[in-house]
Amino acid sequence: MLTPFQILAADGSVTQPDLLPPLDQVESIYRKMVRLRHFDDRLMVLYKQSKMGTYPQFGGQEASQLGATLALSQGDYLAPMYRNTGAALAFGWSPKQAILYWRGHPAGWKIPDELNMLPIIIDIASQFPHAAGAATALKLRGLPQVVLSFIGEGGTSQGDFHVGVNWASAMRAPAVFVIENNGYAISVPRALQSGADYLFKRAEGYGIPGHLVDGNDVFAVHHIAKEAVERARRGEGPSLIEHLTYRLRPHTTGDDPKAYRSDAETQEWAEHRDPLLRVRLLLTAQGHWDDQHEAELRKEAEEEFNAALAEADATPAPDPHALLEYAMASPTPALRAQGKILEQRIRLLEAQA
Amino acid sequence: MTQTVQPAAKAAPASQKTMTLAAALTDAMDLALARDPNVILYGEDVGVMGGVFRITTGLQAKYGKERVFDSPLTESGIVGSAVGMAALGFRPVVELQFGGFLYPGFDQMASHVSRYRYRSRGRWSTPLVIRFPYGGGVNLLEQHHDSPEAYLAHTPGIKVVIPSSPKDAKGLLLASIEDPDPVVFFENIKLYRSVKEEVPQGYYTVPLGQGRRVHEGKDVTVIAWGAMVQTCLQAAVAAEEAGIGVDLIDPRTLVPLDLELILESVAKTGRVVIVHEAVRTAGFGAEISALIAEHAIYHLEAPVLRVTHPDTMHSPFNAINHYSRPEPAYVADAIRQVLEA
Ligand SMILES: Cc1ncc(C[n+]2csc(CCOP(=O)(O)OP(=O)(O)O)c2C)c(N)n1
Repeated sequence: MLTPFQILAADGSVTQPDLLPPLDQVESIYRKMVRLRHFDDRLMVLYKQSKMGTYPQFGGQEASQLGATLALSQGDYLAPMYRNTGAALAFGWSPKQAILYWRGHPAGWKIPDELNMLPIIIDIASQFPHAAGAATALKLRGLPQVVLSFIGEGGTSQGDFHVGVNWASAMRAPAVFVIENNGYAISVPRALQSGADYLFKRAEGYGIPGHLVDGNDVFAVHHIAKEAVERARRGEGPSLIEHLTYRLRPHTTGDDPKAYRSDAETQEWAEHRDPLLRVRLLLTAQGHWDDQHEAELRKEAEEEFNAALAEADATPAPDPHALLEYAMASPTPALRAQGKILEQRIRLLEAQA
Repeated sequence: MTQTVQPAAKAAPASQKTMTLAAALTDAMDLALARDPNVILYGEDVGVMGGVFRITTGLQAKYGKERVFDSPLTESGIVGSAVGMAALGFRPVVELQFGGFLYPGFDQMASHVSRYRYRSRGRWSTPLVIRFPYGGGVNLLEQHHDSPEAYLAHTPGIKVVIPSSPKDAKGLLLASIEDPDPVVFFENIKLYRSVKEEVPQGYYTVPLGQGRRVHEGKDVTVIAWGAMVQTCLQAAVAAEEAGIGVDLIDPRTLVPLDLELILESVAKTGRVVIVHEAVRTAGFGAEISALIAEHAIYHLEAPVLRVTHPDTMHSPFNAINHYSRPEPAYVADAIRQVLEA
């Protein structure tokens, strides 16, 4: 067993004091984590009220996604997968848009011009070659930005995992590849994906640095991601980082984890290795935080979410014409003809109603 | 056209049981595993969990982890390894989690699954089945609603099977597992648990290449497969009340295609509507339409009409997807149009 890189242990003790950021930064990161957790859990509540579509929760992976994303600078790129709502929010995606996105509203799918976020990829592992290509483009243009992309440990079994990391290695492209090893690919445990003990070790085969990190330690995650981002920015090529973490929530809102893992296992992670808990313990031990602070922060998170939700709710229902938009830069003759069919369908359903 | 089935497989099953399409599929795989030790099942989440739609539920517990197992997460691996397994004598029945995720395995399908026998002049063959849920009308994420049958029908060397009822699903799956050719087997998500019917107990097959007349009528031929059979049946029943006879044909397999049944119907009605939830351009409706033009143009009283998904992505915008995916009202409107033409 290798010891993952760690700064803050699960019990709130600091294992590498010289690497811990100042307390006000610790607090600011904690505030972000609590907001993310609140967002994630509220979407599940909305789902249960039939006010949300299928949503893959990231709960338990806040440190992994936030810590890595905060290592980016303004103008850097994010190539996310479906599990990365946390990373996307940390990157600057608005909660309102995220709500609309997971509701399947076209307005949520529109990526704002000022956000260098590639589309969220559902097709497992495909984002890695995209990230490699984007990083190659940045390199060819002589630009200083870097690309950060995430994948689940299940995704490392796909050909595109290899393709993406190897491409970036061959091109010495400025990419940072993070494996969020959360234990399960839906029901399939990590051990069934590969005979290898650790996935980060593949880095050696690609000739790039590999790191094993306590993915529930936001400071460790941030520290290593920062190193990888800076290396990429210096033109020294990509890195591969494995975050050891745990998906505290179901795979998606439609999943029942009882079919494949024990409650006791999940409870153990929730009670002792929650990524938020250790930061709160640290802040409390330092006399920097108490129950009142906590209550106020939670109230703040709730109010912010409610405001975003109100805005999302006020967004007009999707217009059927959105179905034909953006498939082509301008409609082909076939699509124009199909536009007429769409009008006819709208009339038919109106007549039926 | 029709694959020869082993005589024993034709034995009339004893009794019937009301089943969903999902349960009929589970039953079929259970029977296949019991009957032939070469049958193995694998794919993402099919073992402990029984698949995301629970179609392989209980099978790992019953037949063990050597015959029913969770694979690494890789469609090219699932399909590619099935080629090797089949070449060495296994009968792999592999599951892809959704039709929209067959694409990472598509290279293996188009380049290898379909070519092993051809390429080795008969030395190697790939009698395997690739099953997956597909289709819209359920509120899922992007790439979960795709209807990719045309890519596969366009690939020589592969059979394409799309059941629309529990009884057909069971018999077609067993026929697919017996078949010496590779078969892609489409399971419509919407149909999994929304249709129930009496399904014969025990082992039986429905031959690949024989269509089914779902509703009889003399005025208009409607051709549909998968979930669209239900959609068209609703339109057919409504048309009947209005005095219009719809001859609803479910080909059940696109490759091989029961052209005879289609032409017989067209000769009777002279009017055709083809319905699919796949996108329009180069969809399988175009092939059927071309075949009708080649073989029966002089029987036609009106141009052949298609009711399809437009040439855009199967969208994640679930609140409006019913404008893309054919509804009974659109089929009814097309029936009216071919009658007025
Ligand atoms: C190409 C492809 N195949 C299958 C799926 C269905 N699927 C969605 S999530 C998932 C498991 C993914 O596990 P992992 O990569 O570990 O990421 P996690 O969901 O745990 O974050 C699967 C098989 C998919 N989205 N894409």
